[in-house]
Amino acid sequence: MHKSWMKRQSRLGYLFIGPNMIGVLLFFIIPAVYSFYLMFTDYKFMSPETNFVGLDNIRRMLNDDLFGVALRNTFVFLLAVPVSMGLAFIVAVALNKSVYWQKTLRALYFMPYITSGVAIAFVWMLLFQPTSGPINGFLRGIGITNPPGWLSTTEWSMYAIDIIWIWFMLGYNMIIYLAALQEIPEELVEAARIDGARPWQTIRQVIWPLVSPTTFLLLITGLIMTIKNFGIIQAITQGGPGNSTTVLSLFIYQNAFRYYEMGYAAAISWALFAIIMVFTVLQWLGQKRWVHY
Amino acid sequence: MRIKKGLTGLIVGALMLGLLAGCVGKNETNGGDNGGGAAEGKVKLTMWGAVPPENGPQEVVDTWNAEHPDIQVEYVRFVNDDDGNLKLDTALSTGQNVDLYVNYTLTNLDKRIKGGTALDLGEFTDYNIDEKMGEDAASWKVDGKYYGMPTKKNAAFFALNMKALDQAGLSVPTAWTWDEAREYALKLKTAGFKYGLVQHTASYVDPLDSVLVKNGYVKADGTSNLDDPLVTKWLETLNGMMKEDATTPPLGEQLTSKMPVENMFLAGESAMINIGEWLIRTSNNMTEFPRDWKIAFAPVPRLAAQEADMVKSGGLGDFIAINSKSKNKEAAWEFLKWYADGGMMPMAAGGRLPSSNAVDQQTAIDHLLGDYADSYDKESLEFVLYGDETPTFVRSIAQEVVDLRAQEYEKFFLGNQTAEVTVQNMVKRHNDWLKQNQ
Repeated sequence: MHKSWMKRQSRLGYLFIGPNMIGVLLFFIIPAVYSFYLMFTDYKFMSPETNFVGLDNIRRMLNDDLFGVALRNTFVFLLAVPVSMGLAFIVAVALNKSVYWQKTLRALYFMPYITSGVAIAFVWMLLFQPTSGPINGFLRGIGITNPPGWLSTTEWSMYAIDIIWIWFMLGYNMIIYLAALQEIPEELVEAARIDGARPWQTIRQVIWPLVSPTTFLLLITGLIMTIKNFGIIQAITQGGPGNSTTVLSLFIYQNAFRYYEMGYAAAISWALFAIIMVFTVLQWLGQKRWVHY
Repeated sequence: MRIKKGLTGLIVGALMLGLLAGCVGKNETNGGDNGGGAAEGKVKLTMWGAVPPENGPQEVVDTWNAEHPDIQVEYVRFVNDDDGNLKLDTALSTGQNVDLYVNYTLTNLDKRIKGGTALDLGEFTDYNIDEKMGEDAASWKVDGKYYGMPTKKNAAFFALNMKALDQAGLSVPTAWTWDEAREYALKLKTAGFKYGLVQHTASYVDPLDSVLVKNGYVKADGTSNLDDPLVTKWLETLNGMMKEDATTPPLGEQLTSKMPVENMFLAGESAMINIGEWLIRTSNNMTEFPRDWKIAFAPVPRLAAQEADMVKSGGLGDFIAINSKSKNKEAAWEFLKWYADGGMMPMAAGGRLPSSNAVDQQTAIDHLLGDYADSYDKESLEFVLYGDETPTFVRSIAQEVVDLRAQEYEKFFLGNQTAEVTVQNMVKRHNDWLKQNQ
């Protein structure tokens, strides 16, 4: 009696997760397994024959100067994540108190996140224009005679992308932080105040530790989101000038969908997966030191 | 154990479902294809091209459809960029409805031939492509065969502000070197233009390809020939024009602002532009770009000293292939012949001059210039379109090579590396690529 009830129960369970499982299987697991196989072949889209080439693609990747360039650019790109989170935290703390235009400001900060990527790309290209753009106009105005060329130079282009990305992520990070701040019990802040803590002490020693689970979440999702992103770079620079803004994800896109080198692209994808995995595991291990639940 | 069994069942079920879905989808498309055709005795063709329908193609197929009730053609637009070509390639390799499609580069065509999706037109004997299209057609041959038909005459040229040229006492050249062009640019700049010359980034490399088509991309020993002295000459000429003379926009500036070079030329900011026949589309738009001066035309300058050493970018374009998996090859061939021999005329207004000699040159030019024939210097236009006997080429190198060259010369023009290092890097990367694709 009891046994058959269990059986029926578990069958029902599978029925419920079935539709989702089929989706996951067809669109995630099978393609992932297949791309793992592709990594060891010389498969080119549209080309008639595919040969098993063993570790050739991985060897090629390790000898490819461009892979190194893309890897370095990816790490520069990742710098945007902690910077954006830090700024978001400051903004969230400020907007958590009753300030003028509180709701409008919150909406404004969130605006970039819901704006189309192509529109963002065009606006920032205009802003960053080296000779007639408003950013350099402002910099010259405050006395910097030789402002950077931003997107038009190989030295600055990746940092210019960083700035756009920080701005883009800010609103999202801020909203999540705001939610966390609302959860903090008023008594704790009150108690700190009665004990004579100054505002910045309260922020550093009470509020910051209390939102550390949120920080942890934002850090992991932020890093993964950033490392995977290529749309914004594709829209703004297509990886140039030179190859100064070619990040790994863009490098995969180019190899797969511009050169049709699917085997090689699969190998780089798995390298990217490995990097994300290492990052996540490291953070998971490190969280004990600073995340307080 | 129970769980394991359940899971296996689930996976099998999912796979079955997927297969079923696939089958159903396939049947539906097939049914649509044949059903319509069989029931009414009509053939329905689908043609994929990158020109927006309103710029000619719609008028072309409408005309055909009105004349041929038994063969109806539908035009599908794909954007001629990486994403668009991927879309077409996916449609071709998964057997979706594509009967005819336009190739814009030999690189893309090559992939499609290897993928077995381009029909060898040798099986049709009632139309001689070589005779109809002239010598230039041969550069589209792959392994000595035509896997499609080139339908459009490409024209790369310098368009010149004739009023400015007259005032500066300069003549319209019929053959010139880059050194001479650089002097022109300098003189025209002093005559009051912001720039002497502007060009699209796509046209930047034409001089390089001119040199390398003539002297070979690869040396006799199988290594890269990107260190041809004329490559350095090109780098230094253009760099000098950007930095010493300031007669052409610095590359960094041009890249980041997506400089609208045609508008700059037509607005009188630049006296010359390196462009092709599609300029006419914009220059005929007098409401947006009014001008009171004539446009004259000159061939693209050469890097080589000798005129006999010049091979210019151009040739024929819009290479239309028939999908070898198409069910209506005969009908597609009928349409293709009609299209090439004048059916495409509505597209001439957008700069697409038919390449077939069945089409009268004068009619084509009339269509091209429309109501504004008086605002062009007809003599020099006829010369660059039909009079110039310089042999032409169609760029045929792989996308990877185009990209690696661009990445290195961009670094040079931005001042990150010397011309010497640039050439070294190009050669190294080209050699790596050659080895990889042996």
